[in-house]
Amino acid sequence: MVKFIFDLDGTITKFETLPIIAKYFSIHEEIEKLTEKTVQGNIPFIESFIYRVMLLGKYPIDEIAQLLAQVALHEKLYAFIQDHAKDCVIATGNLFCWIEKLLTKFPCEAYFSEAEIENNQVKKIHSILRKENLVEKYKREGYHVVFIGDGNNDMEAMRKADVSIATGLVHYPASSVLSVADYAVFSEEALCRLLNQLL
Amino acid sequence: MSSIKSVVISCAGIGSRLGLATTKALINIHGKTLIRWQLELLKDIEDIRIVVGFQANEVIKEVLQYRDDVVFVYNHNYFETKTGASFYLGAKDGNEYAFEYDGDLLIHPEDLKMLLTLEGEWIAYADKISDDAVYVKTNENGEVLAFSREQGDYEWTGPCCIKKEKIKYNSGNVYNQLEPYLPMKGIKIRACDIDTYDDYLRALEWVKYNYL
Repeated sequence: MVKFIFDLDGTITKFETLPIIAKYFSIHEEIEKLTEKTVQGNIPFIESFIYRVMLLGKYPIDEIAQLLAQVALHEKLYAFIQDHAKDCVIATGNLFCWIEKLLTKFPCEAYFSEAEIENNQVKKIHSILRKENLVEKYKREGYHVVFIGDGNNDMEAMRKADVSIATGLVHYPASSVLSVADYAVFSEEALCRLLNQLL
Repeated sequence: MSSIKSVVISCAGIGSRLGLATTKALINIHGKTLIRWQLELLKDIEDIRIVVGFQANEVIKEVLQYRDDVVFVYNHNYFETKTGASFYLGAKDGNEYAFEYDGDLLIHPEDLKMLLTLEGEWIAYADKISDDAVYVKTNENGEVLAFSREQGDYEWTGPCCIKKEKIKYNSGNVYNQLEPYLPMKGIKIRACDIDTYDDYLRALEWVKYNYL
């Protein structure tokens, strides 16, 4: 039994989502720099995530959710997930309240970070997804786990997965990710071919 | 070529015998890298898997300038292992048959075209030209009976094609993986591999004569 666990931002989506939110609210320069440093592993993911939520949490959740529901997806990969929904899982550090609408497009399971909400704003972070725990959970259940991701926060999950695929669909994968990856792919064609071979 | 085959190109090694301080895939042959010469002749092949190790990022960036639909396979233990491990890693999740293509090998374009259309399992060999070769012993039908470091009828250059399920992890060479399955169908080709600096100089002439 195989279980494909996908990172969301920049792997399934054609763009990183937090910079989109930041641009919409005109604070993109600060957030983009932070996201870039985080993806490359220069700032620990947890620290960066908390900081990003502090910056963005005051903006209306419903507007953010609407914005992210429109983000473009890698279409071939999206089709693969739709065709193999029971074998696929989405794992994202993003807050559920921000990606709730986007996730309704996916017929598979999804795991995310969560926050307490008040007056259409993020009040407090409740939990931050540790993707490596998800890999361990599915391995304990007997699955052959394939993890697909691109950023520094995917590294531990990729180290623990049975097969790890670094994706360079939006940016070159983080060097930490490449240091543990079994595979690297730079197009949807290559990724979907590889996923089908791993089924 | 049918989609039941994957072409596995092993480019993980450090190229120590060559002495050019670069992995062999990146050496310059008449203005193009060796991997580029190989890929141009494989342009119609769908599933190309390039095994990377030493200078992986440089190899990846060079390949991506030419095509982006390649699957890169990491051999993180490239220093402790040889082509046998890279072939195993490159083939293990691929299609039913694995076409092994060493990253230091140039094959005559007509012969490569012929090899890509062949069905089943086989081993290719060439006339002896390299400095530091492994030889193959053949029978009257051209079948490969044995590999040898000392002597043989031809030089083992590869490529070969074998069912992926037969390829086991080892830290040796590709020919060590083939030995349990001998005798195998053999095919003589025109090819030139590059291990030493003298091989490199010969390859420059060989390419001029056979490719340009």
